Amino acid sequence: MSNSIAPASSGTPSSGVPPSCMPVALNMRLTGDKEQEVTLTGTLRPFVAEEMTSVRRSLEQAAWSARGLLCVNLKRLKYMNNVAFLELNRFVRWAASARPDLRIKFVLSSVIPWAIRKFQVIAELYPTVTIEVYDKAFYPIQDVIEDDEFINVLRTQEKIIWEHEQEKLAWHGMRPGLRIADICCGLGDFAILLQRDFRPEYLVGVDHSKPFLRYARQVVSDFGLENIEYQYGDAAALLLPDNSFDFVTCRLSLQVFNEPQNILRELLRICKPGGRIYITNELMAGIVAHPGEQSIRWAYDKVIEIGHQLGMDMDTGLKTRQILGEAGLEDIKIHLIDINNMNSDPTDFAKVVESWSYVTGQMCVRSSQPPEVFERIKEGLHAHVNAIKSDRGFASWPIYAGSGRKPFRA
Amino acid sequence: MSIVKTITPAPTMEADFASSRYRMIMVARFTVGGFAREWSHCHLLANYLARYVSANEGDPERHATLLSTFINELLEVIYRNHAPDGQIELIFRKKGRHVILQITLPVSEQNRVFYRMAVQIVNQPDLKSWYRARLEEPAEGEDTMLGLLELAAVYACTLTISEPPGHDRISLFLELPEVDEMGEV
Repeated sequence: MSNSIAPASSGTPSSGVPPSCMPVALNMRLTGDKEQEVTLTGTLRPFVAEEMTSVRRSLEQAAWSARGLLCVNLKRLKYMNNVAFLELNRFVRWAASARPDLRIKFVLSSVIPWAIRKFQVIAELYPTVTIEVYDKAFYPIQDVIEDDEFINVLRTQEKIIWEHEQEKLAWHGMRPGLRIADICCGLGDFAILLQRDFRPEYLVGVDHSKPFLRYARQVVSDFGLENIEYQYGDAAALLLPDNSFDFVTCRLSLQVFNEPQNILRELLRICKPGGRIYITNELMAGIVAHPGEQSIRWAYDKVIEIGHQLGMDMDTGLKTRQILGEAGLEDIKIHLIDINNMNSDPTDFAKVVESWSYVTGQMCVRSSQPPEVFERIKEGLHAHVNAIKSDRGFASWPIYAGSGRKPFRA
Repeated sequence: MSIVKTITPAPTMEADFASSRYRMIMVARFTVGGFAREWSHCHLLANYLARYVSANEGDPERHATLLSTFINELLEVIYRNHAPDGQIELIFRKKGRHVILQITLPVSEQNRVFYRMAVQIVNQPDLKSWYRARLEEPAEGEDTMLGLLELAAVYACTLTISEPPGHDRISLFLELPEVDEMGEV
């Protein structure tokens, strides 16, 4: 069941209840034999509790049919007033009495700044209630990727990629004066380079790493840049409005999420009809280098395999056309960002590969690899670095960039 | 529950505002009649003002989402408790990472009693226990005050009142908790 809830009593002046606006969407679904999930998104700021009748009824219905756990998903509920909160509290009190065996879990997002403190009070009051901050671990190796240590990886990567990416951006539809959203913006380097070279009307970068965003903001502040904003956010549940950006980018990120379709859905939602979505992803299977090709290939094949175990697809680049096509985009364009030691600064390229040692090490730990596996991976990375630096060697790192236009039709 | 009979005005707060520690951000004035015409004005105004106040923050959107929560609760209480006409003035100041809202509104005697009681409850020593007890066993007629009390009990806002003698207006001072540039309390 999925529907939008209008206030139960959208009163008229004569009824004494002021006209209200409560644009909340309600969604209920069975998530298993024993579980029910009720999702509330949008805004819940009613004038009186009676306006929550539909919500309350749905919650009670879900509570009656759930046998073990009822999840109340509030991760995209942006605003809630105390009237609505008290009504949820009343529901919990009712459930504690009518269904004492039922556990209730409020699923919250750390992106919504008021939510955790508010619901902690209810969780402390009722032993059957828990809260889950779902985005504490919502994709594989999240803590590695969002860590300060990863800043060095990103800085070196961005520098050499931009040199090759920039020249093709106009072909993908980038031009001055656009409203741009850079989802999973990392350190914000891409946003700043776009600002310099393409002068967007407005650019917002969203990332889930607070250290990255602090870095990004500092850069914007140091250089006195305008029209760039950064948001702490979850790429799979963005708080950006529908149909609001001309150009939506998501670079080198889909490959690390185990459910990239959830992010694509959001990219599509925030993109204006006629606007373009631009993604880049690696093709790790296409990394080649000489000398040392056997050791190098073994290492990357192993990283791909470990990535699969962790729910990541390091070969997402090859599926770019399929991804954009299945998202319903038109006028799909794809090009290869072919980084190699002949067309890029070998010192920078080598630094990038050296920095991968940290990430692959963490991937080995997460997937419980024996120490010798990581040692062999390090050997492969080392051989790759040597090939990059060698006067006679050749080493490449293929990244696929693709874009598609969001259709005008509904 | 007893109603406080006298309340000490907060002249120190107003005097403090003259000092350089407080930075004026904005002033909004609107009529009671316009504001009270629609409930949704609380939501719209809270979001608009929050966005304005958060414009220079590191994460304006998240900062504004949090601020809107606080401003909205205050406006909802004002919506329910004000004199039939007159002007409402909302002043935003900033001290370090704290935003301080001063709202001055026309009140009836009944409104005045309501706000005195709210301030008294907010400033009781064990507010958190009191708030939790109200969630467990809500008392009749207290719901409209709980939003304001939640700001103090859950988010550590402070609330004071100033009543200039001989006027049918009061000022409420809501000091918000320290919010970092990311919009984190």
